[in-house]
Amino acid sequence: MQDTIRSQIQRSKVLGRREIARGLVVLKFQNSFVAEKAAPGQFVNVLPKIDFSDPFLRRPFSVYNTSGDSAEIIIQDHGRGTAILAATGIGEHLDILGPLGNPWKYNETTFETAILVIGGAGVASMPLLAKQLEKDNKLYAVYYGARNKSLFADEYLRKIEYSTDDGSKGFHGSVIENVRKDLNVGKYSKPKIFVCGPTGMMRSAILLANEFRIPCEVSLETEMACGIGICQGCPVETSIGEAESTGRKFHLVCTQGPSFAKEQIVL
Amino acid sequence: MREINMGVSIGGVEFQNPILVASGTYGYGSEAKDYCDISGLGGIVTKSVSWKPRPGNYPRRIVETASGMLNSIGLANVGVHAFVDEKLPYLENFNTKIIANIAASSTEEYCNVLRHIEENASKNLVGYEINVSCPNVKDGGLSFGTNVARVEELTKALRPLTKKLLIIKLTPNVTSVAPFAAACEASGADAISLINTVLGMSVDIHTRMPRISTVTGGLSGPAIKPIALAKVYEARKACTIPIIGIGGITSASDVMEFLIVGASLVQIGTANFINPNIGNQIFSELRNLLIDKGIVNIQDVVATLKVADQMKALGW
Ligand SMILES: Cc1cc2nc3c(=O)[nH]c(=O)nc-3n(C[C@H](O)[C@H](O)[C@H](O)COP(=O)(O)OP(=O)(O)OC[C@H]3O[C@@H](n4cnc5c(N)ncnc54)[C@H](O)[C@@H]3O)c2cc1C
Ligand SMILES: Cc1cc2nc3c(=O)[nH]c(=O)nc-3n(C[C@H](O)[C@H](O)[C@H](O)COP(=O)(O)O)c2cc1C
Ligand code: FES
Repeated sequence: MQDTIRSQIQRSKVLGRREIARGLVVLKFQNSFVAEKAAPGQFVNVLPKIDFSDPFLRRPFSVYNTSGDSAEIIIQDHGRGTAILAATGIGEHLDILGPLGNPWKYNETTFETAILVIGGAGVASMPLLAKQLEKDNKLYAVYYGARNKSLFADEYLRKIEYSTDDGSKGFHGSVIENVRKDLNVGKYSKPKIFVCGPTGMMRSAILLANEFRIPCEVSLETEMACGIGICQGCPVETSIGEAESTGRKFHLVCTQGPSFAKEQIVL
Repeated sequence: MREINMGVSIGGVEFQNPILVASGTYGYGSEAKDYCDISGLGGIVTKSVSWKPRPGNYPRRIVETASGMLNSIGLANVGVHAFVDEKLPYLENFNTKIIANIAASSTEEYCNVLRHIEENASKNLVGYEINVSCPNVKDGGLSFGTNVARVEELTKALRPLTKKLLIIKLTPNVTSVAPFAAACEASGADAISLINTVLGMSVDIHTRMPRISTVTGGLSGPAIKPIALAKVYEARKACTIPIIGIGGITSASDVMEFLIVGASLVQIGTANFINPNIGNQIFSELRNLLIDKGIVNIQDVVATLKVADQMKALGW
């Protein structure tokens, strides 16, 4: 069964730590398995503490970058677990389970231009996707929105159309309006939206995609305990059509996602 | 070095070691196979199965709490037909004992599910664990588990349907578990397992909403271990059939505590979510612990709690 193993648990030494934007810390760690296997859109499940003390469940993070035998995650301070993880120092070890979940569906032939739409900390899964699209010689564009200019984690991305709520950088307004503006003038041939960000923003992205009748894939974040399909804790409701064809009322975000075509789910 | 005997026999079934994985925390076995040598486990208790598939509850289904978690999965499962056609045959590949956990909302449904599995049983299926203790569904579950007469009636109805192990899984959400343990023994159960999750709640103070959709949920993990130990101890004094101890186990010393208070076997639940191979790790830790202590037979540890004589004299 050895060759079918898609993910594993590894104690991983932290090689680097840097703050790339306000409240966003990147941890680089040694993990040849994740570095080799992780595809764009997959995630790892990381233990805040090694010893079952409190907090004790793993926390899921998208794989932000890979190179050689190391990988990176980006941590937004959100609560107790992320605070502990963001404070991890170089030389310390993380207990990492991964890579988990399914990749973004980037090699479909149903589109010609990938439009990467990012809201705030939803950036983490995008650099690997952009890298892959470049490797595959696919056209793509990046729309990145945040509250203000201090919040962009854009070190690995190129060709970015920025937008901010306060107008401090790029388009003044929501990232969705920024995309709409360019779709209106037919800037892209056969576009597909790949979106990750706050739920409200992803809903708007779906509405936009419906309006322009273009495909849209959303990457979801639900609470997770296991990340591997054994706890049933991470459901997203399936759409009516999907429920009819699959007989399922819910999908598990960890094993059937984390990204879904907009037609599959009710957000 | 002397051989350590880790085997435990209950109701004529020989388990290679006392460490099982708990229902609802290991799926149907296939999900964890990449991380765990399943054949090293004493056994697998499969996710509760009902007659028809159940989609489970609306999210949010889980929330972490102090050293534990609340869940309200709502018995999401594939239904007994898919269980028998797809899940059991797969589990036959592993050299471990399988116990099918059953949940239902009426005595008739419990019987039908058990009968259907019995007619299609795989070779390593050694018994049934009857879940009368799920706090997260409106129909069935706890309404059985908190009523001695209903537990008795159900056990009596199920007993003639199988010669395999019949295990009743009890809830801690009762004032005293002793009458339930006694009733299970009197109505023919081979063993009891306890505890299922403890009814609990968590509130978001900003939205004033409960943190899980069904308002209350089941608490599990290290937080509930002391409750579980007390319930196992109480049950041990109330019946003579073997007990399977469950609740908050994350280490070999946790297993030892359960054995000392009277459990013959244990199940590991929530800890699998953090490390799906924890069963095997605890097994080797436990073996080393026994070697350190010069114990050659794990069964010699069971029900060896030492209560001080003066406390015994006071009725403790
Ligand atoms: C597939 C996926 C990818 C993710 N990628 C990233 C990323 O790249 N960078 C990043 O900063 N965050 C990411 N998140 C969100 C991150 O996992 C949560 O912010 C984190 O778990 C919160 O933990 P906490 O202890 O700080 O917060 P608390 O609120 O104290 O957490 C309590 C519990 O709720 C769970 N929880 C709370 N909010 C979330 C949430 N939004 N998603 C999942 N679990 C949650 C925690 O795991 C924990 O069990 C991702 C989530 C998912 C599901
Ligand atoms: C997410 C989750 C799902 C569970 N599902 C079931 C179930 O379907 N049937 C059942 O009898 N017990 C179920 N349980 C209870 C466990 O089997 C176990 O009794 C309980 O979690 C206590 O053990 P622990 O503290 O080691 O987790 C579930 C527990 C959790 C955390
Ligand atoms: S997180 Fe456990 S099933 Fe998805």
